[in-house]
Amino acid sequence: MLKRHAGWVIAAPATLAVIIFLVLPVAATIGTTFGDPDGLFAAYADFFNSGFRRNVLWRTLEISLITTAISLFVGFLTAYVVAKSPGRLKSLLIIAAVFPLLTGVVVRSFAWLIMLGKNGILNNFLVAIGVTNEPLSMLYTQGAVIAAMVYLFVPLTILTLVGVLENIPEDVVQASASLGATPAATFRQVILPLAVPGLIVGAVLVFTGSFTAYATPQLVGGERQMVMGTLMYQRAMVSFDWVGASTIAAIMVVLTITVVLAMSRMARRLNPMAT
Amino acid sequence: MTLPLTIENLTAHYGPTKVLEDLSLSVGAGELVSLLGASGCGKTTTLRLVAGFLEPTAGTILLGGKDLTKLPAYKRDIGLVFQNYALFPHLSVLENVAFGLKQRGISPAERQKRALAMLERVGLSPLADRLPGALSGGQKQRVALARALVIEPPLLMFDEPLSNLDAKLRIDMRVEIRQLQRANGTTSVYVTHDQEEAFSISDRVAIMNAGRIMQFDTPEVLYQRPANAFVARFVGFENLIPMHVLARQGEQVIAEAAGGVKLHFNQDRFGQIPDDFVLAARADGLAATANLAAEGLPAMLGLRTYLGRAYQYQCETAAGLLVANGSLSDPLRSGDGARLVPLPEQCCILAPEHS
Ligand SMILES: Nc1ncnc2c1ncn2[C@@H]1O[C@H](COP(=O)(O)OP(=O)(O)OP(=O)(O)O)[C@@H](O)[C@H]1O
Ligand SMILES: [Mg+2]
Repeated sequence: MLKRHAGWVIAAPATLAVIIFLVLPVAATIGTTFGDPDGLFAAYADFFNSGFRRNVLWRTLEISLITTAISLFVGFLTAYVVAKSPGRLKSLLIIAAVFPLLTGVVVRSFAWLIMLGKNGILNNFLVAIGVTNEPLSMLYTQGAVIAAMVYLFVPLTILTLVGVLENIPEDVVQASASLGATPAATFRQVILPLAVPGLIVGAVLVFTGSFTAYATPQLVGGERQMVMGTLMYQRAMVSFDWVGASTIAAIMVVLTITVVLAMSRMARRLNPMAT
Repeated sequence: MTLPLTIENLTAHYGPTKVLEDLSLSVGAGELVSLLGASGCGKTTTLRLVAGFLEPTAGTILLGGKDLTKLPAYKRDIGLVFQNYALFPHLSVLENVAFGLKQRGISPAERQKRALAMLERVGLSPLADRLPGALSGGQKQRVALARALVIEPPLLMFDEPLSNLDAKLRIDMRVEIRQLQRANGTTSVYVTHDQEEAFSISDRVAIMNAGRIMQFDTPEVLYQRPANAFVARFVGFENLIPMHVLARQGEQVIAEAAGGVKLHFNQDRFGQIPDDFVLAARADGLAATANLAAEGLPAMLGLRTYLGRAYQYQCETAAGLLVANGSLSDPLRSGDGARLVPLPEQCCILAPEHS
């Protein structure tokens, strides 16, 4: 009797905490979006009827998908090198990769202000070597936001992928070579599929992180590169439009879940072992 | 297609440590040769060198006259069965077997046909769609075998392929491997640390120690005429007794063991006997007798164990602790004095160990 319910008993406190602190607030937030007197979906119609807001949504999706792709690519290559390095060098490389994580998001985004500003390091350098006569305006562009966010998320992807790549047994890779697979074929047919679970975890982390990012787009992108996070802040804290902000939040939740589900579907297609 | 493998003067290092030294080995076309030796003696390293996963510091590897030494692994066309099978965990059994064919640019229909035929041969066609994670050890072993065989390589190599299986399956599988190898006539190198396994399936066996080959010959010769003390001990000669020649009378040689006991040896049986040598005998080759007048090593009998066909005695002698057998009809008591008589037809004479 006790045994049969033991699982529930053990899980109860955590379940309760999740319901009280996560499900209820989110439900309440989303609930308010359906309370508009003009109709159940009026708040959403409002959002999607605004070209500006549609633009923000589109830009956010674009920025976070590009950030995810670049972070995974860079992270994968780096993780591959790290995983192949001998012991001592490996720990050193991992520490180097993790090091930026020791500072805050704001500090790291600020670094990009210094790098990309009109009087920044990059502009001074470009002018010095004569690539350009005048400083370029690189801040407050989509590229700047993406660069800053990639910088933010690459350590995360490296960490996830080093573990996965290290777990690919050496002899499986050798088996592939012994069966005549070129290094490229081994990479495509063995290493990549076996790394898929890690790639998915990385993709989910980076996508959710960059889709909901606030500080980085605020600092590096400013008003010109408004994204969902900054738009929501503006709705709530500048315009005091709580329903509008909640609507944005609801759209973000739904989109994030959709993309995460799509990613795990893709993973299953590439690798039947991934869940 | 079947080709001879020739390894010449191979030396290999891991970092600064030398793990193989001047190793030479030739495997005839269609022959199955085993590398036999204790853990860490360099068997896997030898396979890795031939497969191309490790570069030798010196030496050459020839397959049918073609120099493989500098060729990358994927161009060597060698079938390899790994100790831990190394199946592709994300591919089905069928896809695992078809993998090598795919790399050779064979059409999907054709490779499916050939892979299925190979699975049929190893009795696994019902499991074609399973993932390796859902197979037993013996089944994985067969998939690994099928995957290596289906590419019809001129050379097959096995790295302790049966070490993860239970005793009964191990015997079944080794017979199967031998039959498949015979049927295809594929030149094969088989690594194991199990003497019985090596002797039972090989044409010839190379006994290795610390990165060198100690003796390379047929199982019969290794078992009956080991070339040195290491091999003798390896094939079960428990008693290695250092002797020194005192006198030679024609073919008769009189030699002395520790403690001053003199024994006669006949060079008709043993060939030229050097001045210092080691007399090697299994327990079977050393007869314990209560007849103190017999020509043998004086011994004090210790523990007696019953073997079914004989009694076995732990014996204290001036030459150290020896193991001898005695007849069932005449059990001796521990604590008694006895003589241990070497039976010439079951003994070997070897060079002293330190040379
Ligand atoms: N990657 C490596 N780096 C350094 N030393 C190694 C490496 N692989 C093996 N060695 C060393 O080389 C020697 C030979 O190893 P090898 O794997 O060839 O032994 P083996 O005969 O196959 O043993 P086993 O029966 O245990 O598989 C051992 O002393 C081992 O410690
Ligand atoms: Mg080994």
